Amino acid sequence: MSQWLAHVIERAANVDDWLSPVRANALAQLKQKEWPGRRTEAWRYTSLHKVADLNLQAGSQASAEAPQVNGLNSIDLVFVDGRLTTDIAQLQLPAGISITALDAKSEAADALFAKVKPAHHLFGLINDVLAQQGIVIDVAEGSQVEQPIRIVNVATDGVESHQRTLVRVGKGARATIIEHGAGNEQSLNTVFAEYDIADNAKLEHYRLALQEDQAIHVGGSHFRLHNESKLNSTLVGYGSQLTRLDVDIEHAGEHAFAKFNNIYLLAPHEHFDLHSTIEHAQPNGTTEENARGIIGDKAKAVFNGRIHIHRDAQKTLAELNNRNLLLSRGAQINTKPELEIYADDVQCAHGATVAEIDEEALYYMLTRGIDKQQALVMLNFGFVQELLFQMPNKALADWLQPILRQRFERMMEQK
Amino acid sequence: MLTIKDLHARVEETTILKGLNLEVKPGEVHAIMGPNGAGKSTLGYVLSGREGYEVESGSAELDGKDLFDMEVEERAQAGVFLAFQYPVEIPGVSNMEFMKESVNAMREARGEDALSSAEFLKKAKEACKHVELPLDFLKRGVNEGFSGGEKKRNEIMQMIMLEPKLAILDESDSGLDVDALQVVAKGVNSQRDGNRSFIVVTHYQRLLDYIEPDYVHILSQGKIVKSGGPELAKEVEASGYAWLKEGESA
Repeated sequence: MSQWLAHVIERAANVDDWLSPVRANALAQLKQKEWPGRRTEAWRYTSLHKVADLNLQAGSQASAEAPQVNGLNSIDLVFVDGRLTTDIAQLQLPAGISITALDAKSEAADALFAKVKPAHHLFGLINDVLAQQGIVIDVAEGSQVEQPIRIVNVATDGVESHQRTLVRVGKGARATIIEHGAGNEQSLNTVFAEYDIADNAKLEHYRLALQEDQAIHVGGSHFRLHNESKLNSTLVGYGSQLTRLDVDIEHAGEHAFAKFNNIYLLAPHEHFDLHSTIEHAQPNGTTEENARGIIGDKAKAVFNGRIHIHRDAQKTLAELNNRNLLLSRGAQINTKPELEIYADDVQCAHGATVAEIDEEALYYMLTRGIDKQQALVMLNFGFVQELLFQMPNKALADWLQPILRQRFERMMEQK
Repeated sequence: MLTIKDLHARVEETTILKGLNLEVKPGEVHAIMGPNGAGKSTLGYVLSGREGYEVESGSAELDGKDLFDMEVEERAQAGVFLAFQYPVEIPGVSNMEFMKESVNAMREARGEDALSSAEFLKKAKEACKHVELPLDFLKRGVNEGFSGGEKKRNEIMQMIMLEPKLAILDESDSGLDVDALQVVAKGVNSQRDGNRSFIVVTHYQRLLDYIEPDYVHILSQGKIVKSGGPELAKEVEASGYAWLKEGESA
């Protein structure tokens, strides 16, 4: 048991609000948990020693600028250190969208702990017991919402914070949700979001885990897909002092489709850990997962991608691919794609590689007069940019592209 | 413009070019024809400086400068353009950024200022129009998912943008239907300005109906075995390459 976790449990026991009964179960589970060490499989390559003795201020009244995304025209819900700073009542919401904050007791908020998120995530339980503020977004049946909703989490210096989101996309509805994280000073910010995607509904989802430098960020996005629903999700992550994300996609209905692209770009000394689990519990589901990372000097990436195809999940199509580009000998990747298949009529593929430069492409670029150094930058960056091109939201892709490009160029200089 | 003297070159252990001589003057169009395996593509690769293509002896000069003394990108900057037989797909790099980088690298080498985004876009639009490529091709990954014909037109689009002194077209007709062939030829012809020179490498005479050469050379077993005017291409069309000496590889 770490001092920090002991403190979390103590603090949680003292929380007395209308959600306390809902939290009680999580607290009971949390008390049974051991603090992860090297032998804990889910934390094998990510040490929590930086968290173990952490002593930060719990929450703050700080104000901070939310990062703006030019051209996106989103509805923004801004949390600073886990505290909602947007006045929901003042928002102009498109038809079919309702947003409820967690600070008021309501039916929607009651459902907050809907448990799309599996109970085994340690920090998920911690978030269960400590998240004071959060948001529930409902998209009404059949509503086609064009305007993206962006949930921004900014972490400020010296603060520990926890934020929670639940999104329910009604039958046949369509919505776009962007989770946008930022912060570069010493902080611990846990952010968990659950998504329930009803029959025939479509969710376009982005998680930008752009915490960097001294920040510690732990969180997850958890999806439950019902019959014939569609998920198109892109995760873009930096490393920070420690970034750990868990993504779960559960095919709870038939003929569901999930596309999940991940990009991680780690500056020197950063740490990034992504665990994804795809559960195919029902037949005829499709999953395409592509993870690509570029890892700078002395940075460390961990990728664990698991696809679990249950016995009844016949006719599943599942692909998982992880490719990594190491910028120096000091860069590190621990990658483990796993397929666990209990059905006999499925098509699955998985693979992980450390990428090498495509000599053919390099020659082609040189014959066009581009100098070698520049061609290598373009090719290496192209390796992740390919996934940026696949993002359905062009405004977001156009905003991200130069930011990631600059980060990458700095990484090349520092290698 | 280009002077190649007694060029011998090999790939790994196999010598492919065995004493090739060629003189191309400004504004001239030279067609190089020959059967498969004659060394046609090798010539383009050797001149552009592809890795693995080793010059054993001989020389190639562009305006008096030794090409073999330059890096691949320096040759391009000096004005040599190679239109690939099989253009390479680069999915993560957009055609737009690729061309912008390329055009500006050439301009920098010539001591000119980089184009602004607006200037570049204008030029790119015109070039696309020349070869009937829709503008959204600029946003796509380089050659990514392009059809064979689109890739060839994209090569010509690049040539138009880069304004080389010497363009080597390596089987720019292969895999094209007549309509696409005419588009490619029209694009090439639009760039014939009396100064720019072309080496048109092709297996078939067909392309030369649309791009009229000044000279036709027959390449066989790594050497030019016959040179003539456009009528030589017609002869090849009529009789094929069977008249070449025995020992020709198919």
